[in-house]
Amino acid sequence: MNHQEDQNWLLRVRGLTKIFGQPCDSSIAQTGPEHATNICPETGAVVAIADIGFDLYPGEVLGIVGESGSGKSTLVQLLHFDQEASGGRVLFQEVDQGRTNILALSNQRKRFIKNHLMGMVYQNPRDGLNFNFTAGGNIAEKLLMAGTFHVGKIRGRAGYLLTQTEVPVLRMDETPASFSGGMQQRVQISKAVANNPPLVFFDEVTSGLDVSVQAKVLDLIRKLQQESGISMIVVSHDLGVIRMLTDRTIVLKHGRMVEHGLTDQILQDPQHAYTQLLVSSLL
Amino acid sequence: MVAATKFQSSYHYGFIDEATKKEIRRKTLKAVCIPGYQVPYSSPEMPISRGWGTGGLHLTLTLIGKSDVLKIIDQGSDASVNACHLRRFVQMMADCAVTFDTAQATIIQSRHRVPEEILTNRQILVLQVPQPEVLRGVERFEARTRQMHGEADYSKIWVSLYEAYVRFGATMRGSGYPIKVNRRYITTPSPIPRWDTPNLSMAHCLYLFGAGREKRIQAIPPHTPVEPLEFEDVKFRVEEFAGIRCSVSGESRAFMDEIFNGEGHRRHVINDSNFLDKLTSGERPPQRVFVNS
Amino acid sequence: MATLLKVANLHKEFTLFIPGAKKIRALENVSFDMEEGEILGLTGKSGAGKSTLMKCIYRTYLPTSGSIRMHLANGGVSNIAHAPEHEVLSIRRTEMHYCSQFLHAIPRVPALEVVSEGLRVRGYSREDASGQAQKCFERLALPEELWNAYPSTFSGGEQQRVNISRAVLSRPRLLLVDEPTASLDLKTKDAVIDILLELKASGTSILLITHDAHTLNRLCDRCLHLENGALRNAVPVRNTEKV
Ligand SMILES: Nc1ncnc2c1ncn2[C@@H]1O[C@H](COP(=O)(O)OP(=O)(O)OP(=O)(O)O)[C@@H](O)[C@H]1O
Ligand SMILES: Nc1ncnc2c1ncn2[C@@H]1O[C@H](COP(=O)(O)OP(=O)(O)OP(=O)(O)O)[C@@H](O)[C@H]1O
Ligand SMILES: [Mg+2]
Ligand SMILES: [Mg+2]
Repeated sequence: MNHQEDQNWLLRVRGLTKIFGQPCDSSIAQTGPEHATNICPETGAVVAIADIGFDLYPGEVLGIVGESGSGKSTLVQLLHFDQEASGGRVLFQEVDQGRTNILALSNQRKRFIKNHLMGMVYQNPRDGLNFNFTAGGNIAEKLLMAGTFHVGKIRGRAGYLLTQTEVPVLRMDETPASFSGGMQQRVQISKAVANNPPLVFFDEVTSGLDVSVQAKVLDLIRKLQQESGISMIVVSHDLGVIRMLTDRTIVLKHGRMVEHGLTDQILQDPQHAYTQLLVSSLL
Repeated sequence: MVAATKFQSSYHYGFIDEATKKEIRRKTLKAVCIPGYQVPYSSPEMPISRGWGTGGLHLTLTLIGKSDVLKIIDQGSDASVNACHLRRFVQMMADCAVTFDTAQATIIQSRHRVPEEILTNRQILVLQVPQPEVLRGVERFEARTRQMHGEADYSKIWVSLYEAYVRFGATMRGSGYPIKVNRRYITTPSPIPRWDTPNLSMAHCLYLFGAGREKRIQAIPPHTPVEPLEFEDVKFRVEEFAGIRCSVSGESRAFMDEIFNGEGHRRHVINDSNFLDKLTSGERPPQRVFVNS
Repeated sequence: MATLLKVANLHKEFTLFIPGAKKIRALENVSFDMEEGEILGLTGKSGAGKSTLMKCIYRTYLPTSGSIRMHLANGGVSNIAHAPEHEVLSIRRTEMHYCSQFLHAIPRVPALEVVSEGLRVRGYSREDASGQAQKCFERLALPEELWNAYPSTFSGGEQQRVNISRAVLSRPRLLLVDEPTASLDLKTKDAVIDILLELKASGTSILLITHDAHTLNRLCDRCLHLENGALRNAVPVRNTEKV
């Protein structure tokens, strides 16, 4: 279409790289799908992801698929500042009109961005929730950090979110340690979206849940997306989840992006051998 | 040098050697420059155990000169055993004048109270602090709490206030209410009652806080805004003494002690002994009283 | 009449890596134009490449070479064969709808919701959207007790009617329909045809795949014939059979 619209991206990622351990000059050249490994043969450094680039547009849901160890979690954790990137740039339209590499900001500004403009749902609820606080307190944490300092409003919002996510409001003042896995996950989702951030990350939200609970969690995410138009990045190795939730998909293998496309195209007309293998194992 | 006749030995002026004093003064200056920030310092040995006011003594002994007038109070009282011993010690080591009169003192060392009488720009209040870390209750590790202060990441303390309100119907905590100093650092510099907390804000005097055991110095310089943490709908409140009068002075606007006698009767007396003395002698010292909304 | 779609030298080859590397030529040098407001039929034997062509236009399949230029409502032109993903998504949301041979409904969403969702996204109130969906179901004789059931349990013909209702109510500029009348009885078939004609009258262009001569004759202004992935002649059908 026209040039104007191309500048409408919400998040622009370029050359994003994360290496664990001591890299050498050829670590990146000697790893990746064509070498069938992400471990540098010379130094043993793990090239968790290398040279990842994509744009995310407002209201879009982007899927990230790939086998275990392909770097999916690392990717979203870099974007959520949970880990420090080894290289690359991330521009975020909500910060300085997308002119600043947010990876290079001070920790304090990163925290502000994370608190106000992002949400994260971790695979393990223990990573996203503080079990010393109550369920309501966990949701309150996100709201407080995003600037809501009104107990009545906090409790109202927490109650609303828990109702939406079908967690009994009566249990708002209990710690989530006593909740079932599915309930914990739904509290985590409530927390992540509490302040209506424009961008939310979901890392394997349904793995480890039984099928009926999985369905509930997926329905909830879909509903939230439709109602609020939040942009989302959904990590999963389950193509069923990707099909149900996402518009576009990135396929990772050994830390590299081997394919990207519209989700229906990735599923029905995969171009890369690895993606075809993934898709064929789904059917 | 100060001669101690009893043991026929002599000490440095102010007990602490000059190099260490210099270090503590420098740390004190740094604390004044960064209101509410906990500055680590050397915390040298004192002839009393750590936790008994060593931090306060470090500050007092490095600040004091012969022309100073010292007042030392413990929980509002000039005459308690602790206050008496510390006063005698500093007086011996610094050869200075001492007083009970809040208005006369140039340096006041205190534990758990800010005097009721308004302090002036000629005065320094030194507070003895057992635990300076407001975040210790929500985070065990020092490395983490330092990072949290560095990044102004105060979510956990706020959630703990929220949870206290949900559980107990008030964000009330006994003493040591968390405050935000100069719109940046959150701290609870000393276990003073909530009654005294508003007086830390925009004061004329300098407040210094010494935690000897934890080896930290903090400061609230004159005219620094200090806000107790509060929600928009759940406000900070000082202790209520509604309908209560001091059984000695008949006064109601001061922080009260509750005293029980043998028969189970209860009466109240103003905690600040010098303030009470002045009231009973017909004086009315200037006071700043916070009224709950 | 203005051109809506210009397909030029379109090739599509599938490379299947499992089992073994294998190539399937599905479309070969396909070129044609589609006018605004016309209904264009697409015929050919099973396996000729009809669905492949349609899916290339929708970008569910990635064309191997060639171009698919769509003239957009805002006056711009987008080459769907190569456009960035977000651009294709935006076209799908606003101007192009694909009504597939089979219903791909989201599980656990009732039929009425499936259909009214698209309207709500475009700003209609819940009641309004639901009302329009109900009207459409009535016309297509979808039994009322199914309206609030999940379409994944429906019969083939019932699913098809849900699918068509969704397509029609989204009122796209370009509608791609694959076998809309395949498993329907004669009466319902005619209801579908009537609805599609109304849609055409309101300005929608329709690309239609069908094996059914009756549907073809009643609907199409023009017809393209595919053989082994290549286009034969374009036949104007309207003239051959006129009621
Ligand atoms: N802290 C770390 N130190 C060293 N290597 C790490 C670290 N974290 C991750 N890795 C490595 O980085 C690679 C990518 O890990 P990541 O957790 O991103 O994978 P993933 O795609 O999320 O896998 P899964 O589907 O199993 O969750 C793996 O090879 C992993 O071993
Ligand atoms: N996703 C795919 N992967 C590989 N080959 C495919 C794919 N889709 C279609 N083909 C092949 O392309 C050719 C054309 O198929 P297509 O579905 O377009 O036929 P059609 O004309 O729609 O037939 P029908 O009338 O039976 O629906 C077939 O040989 C088919 O096997
Ligand atoms: Mg992972
Ligand atoms: Mg077909």
